[in-house]
Amino acid sequence: MSSESSVANRVRHAADEVRAGWTPQRYGVLLFGILLAAGMGPRFQVFLLTEFMIVALFALGFNLLFGYTGLLSFGHGMFYAGGAYGLAIVLKEVGPAIEAYLGAGLSGGVSLLIGAIVGILLVTIIAVPVGWLSVRMEEIYFALITLAFGMLVYSTIIQNPLDLTNGTDGIVILLGNLNIAGLEIRFGARRTFYYLTLTIFGLLTFGMYRVINSPFGMVCQAIRESPERTGAIGVDVRRHRWAAFIISAVFVGVAGVLRAGLAGVASPELSHWSTSAIAVIATVIGGASFFAGPIIGAFVFLYLRWGISRVPTLEAYWEFFFGLLIIGTVLYFKAGATGGLLALRGRASALLKARAHTRGERE
Amino acid sequence: MSAIDPVPLVSLADIIVGLSLGSRLFLIAVGLSLIFGVLGVLNFAHGGLYMIGAYLTLVVVGIGSGYFWLGVVMAALGVGVIGVALEILTLRPLEDRLENDTDQLLVTFGAVLIIHEGVRTIFGSQSYTLSPPEYLDYSIVLQSGQIGVYRLVVIGFALAVMLGLWLFITRTYFGSLVRGTASDREMAAMLGVNVRRLYTGVFFMGSVLAGLGGALSAPLQSMSPALGDQIIIDAFIVVVIGGLGSISGAFVGAMFIGLAQSLGPQFISSGSIAIPFLAMVLVLLFRPRGLFGGVAE
Amino acid sequence: MSTVLRTQDLRRVFGDVVAVDGVSLTFDDAEITSIIGPNGAGKTTFYNLLTGVLSPTAGSIEIASDGGYTDITDEPAHVIAQKGLTRSYQITNIFERLTVRENLAIARISRLGRTMNISSAAMTDAEITARFDELLEMTELTSFADQRCDELSHGQKRNVEIALALAIEPSILLMDEPTAGMNPTEVRAVVDLIRELDANLETCFIVTEHNMDVVTDISDRIVVLDRGAVLADGTPSEVLEDDAVTSAYLGEMGADGHIGGIS
Repeated sequence: MSSESSVANRVRHAADEVRAGWTPQRYGVLLFGILLAAGMGPRFQVFLLTEFMIVALFALGFNLLFGYTGLLSFGHGMFYAGGAYGLAIVLKEVGPAIEAYLGAGLSGGVSLLIGAIVGILLVTIIAVPVGWLSVRMEEIYFALITLAFGMLVYSTIIQNPLDLTNGTDGIVILLGNLNIAGLEIRFGARRTFYYLTLTIFGLLTFGMYRVINSPFGMVCQAIRESPERTGAIGVDVRRHRWAAFIISAVFVGVAGVLRAGLAGVASPELSHWSTSAIAVIATVIGGASFFAGPIIGAFVFLYLRWGISRVPTLEAYWEFFFGLLIIGTVLYFKAGATGGLLALRGRASALLKARAHTRGERE
Repeated sequence: MSAIDPVPLVSLADIIVGLSLGSRLFLIAVGLSLIFGVLGVLNFAHGGLYMIGAYLTLVVVGIGSGYFWLGVVMAALGVGVIGVALEILTLRPLEDRLENDTDQLLVTFGAVLIIHEGVRTIFGSQSYTLSPPEYLDYSIVLQSGQIGVYRLVVIGFALAVMLGLWLFITRTYFGSLVRGTASDREMAAMLGVNVRRLYTGVFFMGSVLAGLGGALSAPLQSMSPALGDQIIIDAFIVVVIGGLGSISGAFVGAMFIGLAQSLGPQFISSGSIAIPFLAMVLVLLFRPRGLFGGVAE
Repeated sequence: MSTVLRTQDLRRVFGDVVAVDGVSLTFDDAEITSIIGPNGAGKTTFYNLLTGVLSPTAGSIEIASDGGYTDITDEPAHVIAQKGLTRSYQITNIFERLTVRENLAIARISRLGRTMNISSAAMTDAEITARFDELLEMTELTSFADQRCDELSHGQKRNVEIALALAIEPSILLMDEPTAGMNPTEVRAVVDLIRELDANLETCFIVTEHNMDVVTDISDRIVVLDRGAVLADGTPSEVLEDDAVTSAYLGEMGADGHIGGIS
């Protein structure tokens, strides 16, 4: 009997340790593992999950500025569009040249890489001046000016400047292939693109986690709490906000590159304020004060929308639900979905502890 | 080939179109501006209220005996009531932190989604059109073009409203309460002003104006659930340019945007849609209080 | 003792109102100076000028550095803070939703010039957390170090307020009414804290206070401002026996030793 209880004890201790050890890092690894496996699932789910990761990146980048630095931007769609159009333009204009130069084998991968780099560059070129101007504004005015800039980019894209953007129709994107050492990677294939997205998602999420917990990220949070005090202890608040703006923009830009790849098109709507609103909705619902908030919010956003679309009678009402969710979260449950999950976990572990107690008493 | 015509011919007809556009914009923008000036809230859902005004007019005119002006009045009042409901449900809980807090933007944005969905559910996604009342449904024909008489009526309305509002704010007791509370809420409360009720009253006024704007615009533009989203951005631009809280600013700003939208394409062959946003950015950067910043100036 | 801060003919005008009228003062390190005066005497404006929140209409402010003086008259607030002049606030102005430790960390990050550093983890960084224990102990916050500031009591927040200002290792610390709104026990605690800090640090303390007991208790020196100008400047005994000072306060001094009817 003693050996039985000692085994039970050991199991319980192990479970306790595992529970205590559920650090954010471990959750991250778990999520990554789940996503890794999910790539083998049904094709439509793979597509949806890819979209989820892209929106999550969009929201994550947005939240560096909103949840962590306290600046609400309604124009981040311009960076989403920047990344997308960077890729699209490179593929359209330079793609053929690359293929001629490098041959069909490598050109697919190289074009994609160059397209992504150009997308990020484009986003940075926009973010530097726009950010510098915008961080001079406070609160609501910041939201208004970013909204205006986003719409300015939108109207610029529509006019087909330098005949690059193809106006309201957008640019169609065809991802090529990469042939290395007998291995053929078809970027346009769903599962391939899924794993590409997953890799980038993993890297960037980890990167954002590092940024948030770095001295830079701590100062961002200080600025959110009290810009005046942060300045009074020696920080150049404006310059810091500017830096956060640019980093946030780059994240969203990468998301935009992936978005273009997934959707097969770069369209002006990406820069419209209604697209910027998606990041806002996802983040607020997920809980802007948590690192995982944007990720969970993106998940809720996409899957709730998808789930609702499966029920014919409810199909039309997804905006209604999200409107209510936003209002409910802002007014009554600031912690959002992530807070809800944490509360759930708290209750669950309390329940388990209580059970362990009673069992311990019985022995 | 230059993008700007050297000698553009601006016809009176185009100007009237621009002014009537501006008139509708004025009605929604002045309500938005007042609400911001007094409550410190930038009501994202104001475009939705405007849209409801248009649809309500459609409903009353459609169901009823076709009395257009009855529809307009009922729509405006109906929107006023809806606006008050909105304020009580979504903004009152925030009342301690209304000023410049992004929460109010988020909450009114949530309302945008609900209103959009509501309209879409009840009326569907298709566009509706409404004709102006028969006795106004004709045009004055000029050499350069036609001028719809109804448009002139709308412009007249805008002028009347502006005058009425100005008188109201500067000459009536309620108006002075509005001005006082706008400049110092705590002081007003200490002096016995029921700030909560005042807020609701101002929100009612602002919503009625938006509803009126939507109702009057029904014969001039087709309505669809996207109307709210389209107009709110224009309203934001007007309010920023004119000055958050300024009636005359809203008027000037609205006319500017209205004329820019109707005349712009003639001067600049492409890119005229960027003008309002550019103006908004410039005003925010150099004169964030707007060209006329302040309440009831 | 050497001079760390000096102002020359500092003047600030708001329209017709002269808030600060030709104030010339020098402050030495390791000294506690209290600035007192009736409401409207210009104390707040003086502070705002020193910290860079306001620019003076005339006059100069200089901070000692490397044997000479650096002019900080028109510098922005954050530059002045970097040069060693910082303040604590009357109404606590700390980073509410962050823990005490994180509050200190931010001050340290700024002091070390590492605000743009994205490569290391702030809270486990040795250089950043170096003097935390010392500071936490001095301000009696050790047991609350990992609690969020919005969960602390008013008195504890006050200590965070001071700890935050100290974490920057300022050469000059302006304290804005550190005992405002406190009960006698709390006041005692703050006074003890300031005394201990003064004993352990080289910092120059400049304190505005309405509580005359506190003022006489901690001050090495008292400066009296009245209508924007310096009315008296000297040791507590000198100043409090000065007739000009008493007459300026006649009718303002309450029986409980508080000036201006504000306790």
